[in-house]
Amino acid sequence: MALLEVHNLTKDFGGLRANDNISFSLDQGELLGLIGPNGAGKTTLFNCVSGLHPVTSGRIIFAGEDITRLKAHETARRGLARTFQVYVASGDLSVEENVMVGCFMQTRSPAQARARAKEILTDLKLNDLSDYLVSELPASAQKRVTMATALGSDPKLLLLDEVAAGLNPSEIEEIMAIIKHVHDDLGVTVMLIEHVMELVMKVSDRVIVLDYGQKIAEGEPATVAKDPMVIKAYLGERYVREHAEELK
Amino acid sequence: MEALRNVFDFSDFPRIDLVVVGMVALFLVVFPLLPHSSFAMATMIQFLMFSLYGMGWNTIGGYGGQVDLGKAQYLGIGAFTTAVMLIRWDVPFWVSMPIGVALAVTWSFIIGYPLFRLTGHYFAIATIATSLVLKDIFEVWDFVGAARGLEISPIKYSPPDFLRLIFKEDIYYYYIILGFFFLGILYVNWFRKSRLGFQLRSIKDNEEVAQSLGINVHWAKIKTYAIATAFVSLVGSFHACYIKNIEPEDTMSLDLSILIALMAMLGGAGSLWGPIIGAGVLIPLKSYLKEWLGAKAGLVGIDLIIYAVIIMLISAVEPRGIWGIIEKIRRRKRA
Repeated sequence: MALLEVHNLTKDFGGLRANDNISFSLDQGELLGLIGPNGAGKTTLFNCVSGLHPVTSGRIIFAGEDITRLKAHETARRGLARTFQVYVASGDLSVEENVMVGCFMQTRSPAQARARAKEILTDLKLNDLSDYLVSELPASAQKRVTMATALGSDPKLLLLDEVAAGLNPSEIEEIMAIIKHVHDDLGVTVMLIEHVMELVMKVSDRVIVLDYGQKIAEGEPATVAKDPMVIKAYLGERYVREHAEELK
Repeated sequence: MEALRNVFDFSDFPRIDLVVVGMVALFLVVFPLLPHSSFAMATMIQFLMFSLYGMGWNTIGGYGGQVDLGKAQYLGIGAFTTAVMLIRWDVPFWVSMPIGVALAVTWSFIIGYPLFRLTGHYFAIATIATSLVLKDIFEVWDFVGAARGLEISPIKYSPPDFLRLIFKEDIYYYYIILGFFFLGILYVNWFRKSRLGFQLRSIKDNEEVAQSLGINVHWAKIKTYAIATAFVSLVGSFHACYIKNIEPEDTMSLDLSILIALMAMLGGAGSLWGPIIGAGVLIPLKSYLKEWLGAKAGLVGIDLIIYAVIIMLISAVEPRGIWGIIEKIRRRKRA
């Protein structure tokens, strides 16, 4: 069953078309990768789906309900959680408190929110960091905290925006394990934007490729990686011409 | 039950803090029994009133990070509601005070709804503007005494009058405002750990993240603004009975709004004790400076210079004020 359906989504910023007639669907339990060169419109697509930006045209159906016109806090309450590429924390909240904010979506009780936050932090092996301020942590830990916070809201679908960006190989391994854990063990459907190819290609069931706001390819990771359109988008037309033999 | 437990739960503070708080609380309770001048008594009452204004400001301005420079308009609504109702219809304080709070909160919804579409400096400027407009209206509105203001004449009543809050001795006023002061602390102690408190702190951190966690940012700000307003309006009603002579010029002035915000920021915005520390530093400074300068007329205005220096120091050294410095030192020790 499709958990998320996007039909002909278009988003204009003034004269710039950031998303151009994009359609795709995402099944319950799937792990979908979203890739594309810088400026392809990936984050904009996330912002439209989660309700942070109003769409110019098109429809978004989530769990059978039309959420096209809903605001970000309304989509969140229906089970659509997300992380942000650039996380700016003023530093007032500790790690545990930060996760509690997510948990407060499900409960009014501070004690319950705290207990749930502790559970999640233990599950993601972040319990040693509970009392630190988020702003004191290195980037890799901050990324894991943002995931823990999003999980606090107990989502059906988790949108991850470049959680591996700027991390070293061993940290990428760690974050990959967490993504797999969230998807495989916790049963959360995941859609992720990622530039780190070894991560996307390894974990995704399916990959969508955007370029200049348009969907140019969709399919299994191995197939998409060989698609000439995709290679052209990343490496340029000349590369495809010159390496035509190898690519076959 | 859990909410009630949270009201009295201060366990996240280190023991040394609780000892200091206990000693200060004890001092406040026994202060009127110690030898003191009437000037010291008046200063203490001002301290308690401004602590309460600061606690109210701190909910939206400190925890929520929405710098509000228009709190005096709500002080005015509270003060004038109580004064008008007492003088015209002989309505006691305990009835007019909640009505004043209701009127102030209603007004806060009316202006909060559009103003919270604005952020940062624009919001701060807009709160100044609405406060000044309301003051100008009160200054030409005969029903509330226009620019001459209103005077509650104590001769008409027989003090001590606990219903109308008319007393001859300041000690009565002191214990009443001290009661509100303790209730205020308990309320903010509950607030900071409540869902709304966490939501506000998340909004201050990053509004987009807050939205993506299911928080209706606009509504959370309006609700908290109403809480802050209730504090200020309540003390405004008390102010009318205590001062007995109120004019728009001194109950609704911009100076007052700025002083409220400044105190909370100096003590530590977004912390439970911050506004009290701020009031404890600034109110004695202000009243003793005024007394001392009264003899040296040429130096009038030096208090404004001192405020300016404080603003510069806060923004340059530690934006989270005196409490921020204390916490910083503690973190360094722990690390």
